Amino acid sequence: MSDHEELESSVAAWVLGALDPDEAATIRVHVEGCATCQQTAARLGRAAAALPLEVEEISPPARLRERVYVAAAAARASTVPSAPARKRVVPARRGWKPAASIPFGPLPALAAAATVVLALLIGLATGNVIGRNSVPPVPAQVSRYQLVGHGTLAGARGTVVNLKVEGVALVDFTGLPPLAKGKVYQLWLITPGGRPDSAAVFVPDSNGGKVVLVGLPLTGYSQMAVTAEDAPNGSPAPSQQPELSGNLG
Amino acid sequence: MELYDRYAGLSYAVAMRVLGDPGRAEDVVQEAFLKIWTNAAGFDPKKGSLRTWLITAVRNRSIDYLRGRAAHERQELELQPELASTSTHSDPWHEVSLELERAAVREAVGSLPAEQRQAVQLAYFGGYSQSEIADMTHVPLSTVKGRMRLALEKLSSYLLGRGLVSV
Repeated sequence: MSDHEELESSVAAWVLGALDPDEAATIRVHVEGCATCQQTAARLGRAAAALPLEVEEISPPARLRERVYVAAAAARASTVPSAPARKRVVPARRGWKPAASIPFGPLPALAAAATVVLALLIGLATGNVIGRNSVPPVPAQVSRYQLVGHGTLAGARGTVVNLKVEGVALVDFTGLPPLAKGKVYQLWLITPGGRPDSAAVFVPDSNGGKVVLVGLPLTGYSQMAVTAEDAPNGSPAPSQQPELSGNLG
Repeated sequence: MELYDRYAGLSYAVAMRVLGDPGRAEDVVQEAFLKIWTNAAGFDPKKGSLRTWLITAVRNRSIDYLRGRAAHERQELELQPELASTSTHSDPWHEVSLELERAAVREAVGSLPAEQRQAVQLAYFGGYSQSEIADMTHVPLSTVKGRMRLALEKLSSYLLGRGLVSV
């Protein structure tokens, strides 16, 4: 078998994405310089491109539309020069702990500010999120974490989808109970030192669901938590122990 | 969101077929749509249909998840939508309804000999390499190559014969 015949015999596997990287690179180079194999690849590629039509459509969950919409809006916003993302550093209240493993207590204002600057510098320098995914960490652009409720929020869950490239995260909440009048849910990002930063204020829909956009990179935060606070703008600091929280890593 | 409403069902189905995990399938679909929107300026309809681009992105991202491979590592493994539709009649799918297309593809795939159908499905939806498929099916690599080639040639001929592919 000639070199050409040998290479051509792998064109079908190439258009199906069924070659190892080294083999694929070899075939690509050959195809680019071989008119016969270009025609073969085009013909077989059209057939391969039709394969997904074999699959029966499945309606995705309704919340996915909202997630995609919010993420698209965030991605568009991130391409337009604007003021830095709102980030409110609040004084921590003694005794408020998002989880037993995270010490949380008051920090001197200067130290808190330094921590924020350090976190931002780390984020700028590495371009990475410090936390690690709780599921296999690929593809690298997205990681997911879970928020779990207890107490009065025992039925509530939150799925954090961290879009690292866009520098934003989405939190997909389900099972949130209705709020008391004059209250909103407030989402907090918590540093390893236990300092909570307000990330969003929201009200769930009638089904207890909500997709919340966090317009901040998660870099430098180790936990996320939710509390019920005063409407409409929430509180400068959490007023209660969170009953819905999770680790970002 | 018109694009989403039109193709979300197919995108999600492809991701589910590959991954079998609703959560990851949602992530993959979201990523694929974001990729389309953030790279919209670079889209050239002469190089392929938007649907092909989208579904290829969904399939490839799903395989990346499945195999624990970062997207940038599989650059050379990308399906070739630009090769898949190089003619000016690059998107035959506009000419017929989606349902007709799908029925034709199902019929075409169903008409393949089982071993040929298995080879292309393991590659496309399973993300297996031809060498892995040879090992799994206990046949020589040359046999797998032949099955893939024959399967795609038959699919191409079948679809061409029904006016669904311009070759």
